Amino acid sequence: MRTSAAAIVARNETWTGAAATEPYEAGWADEAVVFVRALRPAVGRPGRARIELSPDGMRWVREGTEFDLPTGQDEVTFARVDRFGTWLRVAADLPEGASLTVLVTLHLKG
Amino acid sequence: MTLRTWDDPALSRFDPLPRIICHDDFDRGFCGWTQLVGNYEGTLDAMLPGYAQHLSPMLSTLPNWDIGSHGGFDGTYALKLGTRPRRGAQNVTIKRLTFRKAGPIRLEAYVTFKPEATELRLSEADVRSFGFLFDLQVGDRHGAGGERVMPHLRFLNALDGEHAQRWQFKRRTTPFVAMGTESKTISHYHLSPDDWEDLPGGDQRLCYNEIPTKVNWHYLCFDFDLAAMRCTGFRVNDRTFDMSGYDAIRIPAMKNLWCMLNLAFFVETDVDKRANLYVDGVCLSGDF
Repeated sequence: MRTSAAAIVARNETWTGAAATEPYEAGWADEAVVFVRALRPAVGRPGRARIELSPDGMRWVREGTEFDLPTGQDEVTFARVDRFGTWLRVAADLPEGASLTVLVTLHLKG
Repeated sequence: MTLRTWDDPALSRFDPLPRIICHDDFDRGFCGWTQLVGNYEGTLDAMLPGYAQHLSPMLSTLPNWDIGSHGGFDGTYALKLGTRPRRGAQNVTIKRLTFRKAGPIRLEAYVTFKPEATELRLSEADVRSFGFLFDLQVGDRHGAGGERVMPHLRFLNALDGEHAQRWQFKRRTTPFVAMGTESKTISHYHLSPDDWEDLPGGDQRLCYNEIPTKVNWHYLCFDFDLAAMRCTGFRVNDRTFDMSGYDAIRIPAMKNLWCMLNLAFFVETDVDKRANLYVDGVCLSGDF
């Protein structure tokens, strides 16, 4: 049976400006679904999030996947990722004046 | 019949009591080790800050920028627990069980720790500590005087840049705080930085190796009697410690934690850099 896990990589964190989840190592997983839930209504327009990969958990590059950040309370947005190597994180650059309180969940299978 | 040590090499690296409660090899997944989340009621904002910082553990190959994957003690994966990159940050992973018999139990594990290798220097004083704890409570028929008992031990590797290298324990927690208005959920911060005490004779120089990407695994063994709610032994690698001066956090039994047998590992950073604890594996055994 394959391994499956849900990981919480940000909980009740308020993102402003340049924001990112803590690095998550999941080289065992073939695929990931990344969910971002707004725990409160967004302030302003938070914009889009992106998936980032890393060779070492310290230096990050854009994977190419982007998705809208949620804006309404309890709204959820997501992205699917595969072949991501070992390290995974979600990053976003929120415009000045915008903020978003998030719950970020990774669903991993491999 | 005596079990020959080579009949089960994975188990033979432990000295278990007769009953194996769990033998967690992280090549089989997380084996029930999850994130310690703080209590809350109504809103996540109620969670104490010490718990709010916690994040999920990982399955790691101990990958490094210079050598690639270090690998686990055995097989490919180890359980990894990382802090945020902020001085004093901590993280905790926990496994939640209950006990069948209030008798002797033994926790054994192989662990190692390192800071994130962001600098080309030894960084031996960057990890503040790693440690483990139990969260235990008597059964519901215990009667008056029953306790919730929380044995804690940490290896204080460094504090304020001093390479301390000694084992510590704690007997005090913070006052309980109500999490909401329903009188059902309360919280306390038993891993606060305060009230750690040096274990008498508890200095120990653990192998750290010579660059931040080389690790060596350490053996630890902690014995506890659930009947007397007392520690009965503690060994790390070649050292056996005198636990006559040791005690646990003790508080009156709580209304919803009967027979609780929780075990946890934690790690703390002493600098603005992530600290990582790796575990591969864990054997919890009992005499029943």
